[in-house]
Amino acid sequence: MATASSSLTTSSMFTFPPTYSFPPFFSPQPNAQTRSAQLSKWSSLVQSYCRHHRIFKLLLSDALESPLFHNSKLMRRLSAHDAKAVVDYMTSKEGGNRAEWIGPATEKASAWIWWRRPEEWAGVLEAWVDGTGQKGTVLTLYELVEGEATENQEFHGMDMEVLRKSLGTLVKKGKAQVFGGEGQEGVKFF
Amino acid sequence: MSNRRGVGLGAFTNKNQTSQSYASHGSQLKSLNAASLQTQLSVFQSLLHTFALEHAADIKSNPTFRAEFARMCNAIGVDPLAASNVKGKRTKSLWARVLGNDVNDFYFEVAVRIVELCRATRTENGGLLGVTECCQMVAKGKAIGGGLQITEDDILRAVKSLEPLGSGFNVISIGSKQYIRSIPKELNTDQSKVLEVLQILGFVTIAMLQINLQWEKARATTVVEDLVADSLVWVDVQAEETEYWSPQNLLDDRG
Repeated sequence: MATASSSLTTSSMFTFPPTYSFPPFFSPQPNAQTRSAQLSKWSSLVQSYCRHHRIFKLLLSDALESPLFHNSKLMRRLSAHDAKAVVDYMTSKEGGNRAEWIGPATEKASAWIWWRRPEEWAGVLEAWVDGTGQKGTVLTLYELVEGEATENQEFHGMDMEVLRKSLGTLVKKGKAQVFGGEGQEGVKFF
Repeated sequence: MSNRRGVGLGAFTNKNQTSQSYASHGSQLKSLNAASLQTQLSVFQSLLHTFALEHAADIKSNPTFRAEFARMCNAIGVDPLAASNVKGKRTKSLWARVLGNDVNDFYFEVAVRIVELCRATRTENGGLLGVTECCQMVAKGKAIGGGLQITEDDILRAVKSLEPLGSGFNVISIGSKQYIRSIPKELNTDQSKVLEVLQILGFVTIAMLQINLQWEKARATTVVEDLVADSLVWVDVQAEETEYWSPQNLLDDRG
């Protein structure tokens, strides 16, 4: 399962954008205009980094020590406070709702990073089910994420909770039905 | 005319006659010359026309070729973009008249890209975009039609074509570099000086300004603060002494 702790250290090299080697990028900019440009750059960096390493849930304390927020070559790092500000920005409408804090609002220790939002994942799943003619068949959640049939799919190995969330959006639209208990859930697409 | 060594009174009339016939012959020659020049010019223009039509594709796609062509137009005193904006009056520019609207449109297209770029990067560079950087970014642009192969010369020409719009886009020189300025604002000499230093070093600190330019602390601080306020520089507080960086090298990961 791809969570922050397990995959931050694995996977092939991620190519950081040029901004990453720009020292002021790691300090909060006093000018409001510059600041907003900075935050939007951080947002896209966090998204592409998480996409590359298939991180769904970002644990802030881990991320602060990872290359994402810590450029050891430059000896610059994002402070915990600034990292929170980045994620805060991503959760805002201005930041495109690309993140969501997990747990109580006061804690802000980890967050979902929506490099694909649940409804976008739902679209991908739907297209695959449609394309393989499996409408009306019952599929287990495990099979969807870990099954051989989905090995080349982008959603292969995705976070179970994210999967549930995306299926939830389909259920709401009446396009799927989820049944069964924890651990052996199945889903049927209409 | 036969007696050239006229002496005495007769010489006066002779001289008169001579100068008169010289004059008439001269004007004859002049009109002849003018006529032949006119033909030459019109021949040249029509040749330029055919040439341009024949190579319209090259002119559009090959930056070196285009620059050479523009240079040729300049050499014969033709400003290709002049009068291009009074379309209603049917006085089209040379680009438009000679080449059809194609090449003219090319520069407008480039101009549109430039405006887009300036707007997109305005928050990060305070409306000052290096011509070189602009050129690179247009070249690898992700806009419709993909990258456009252009030279800095094209950029300057395109920015010039925006002038009549009163949009406040213009090209300024700081140090050895040219910038497109998309926010109308005057830079004072101190600010220009700091931007010049930034070109060379990438960043400055207050102490550096004090030592190298012999500025008092207050002066250096004011200039730098002004630049920050105009979002022309970024601040790095994690350095030993606060560093102020030029965002010009931030190109770019957008998209």
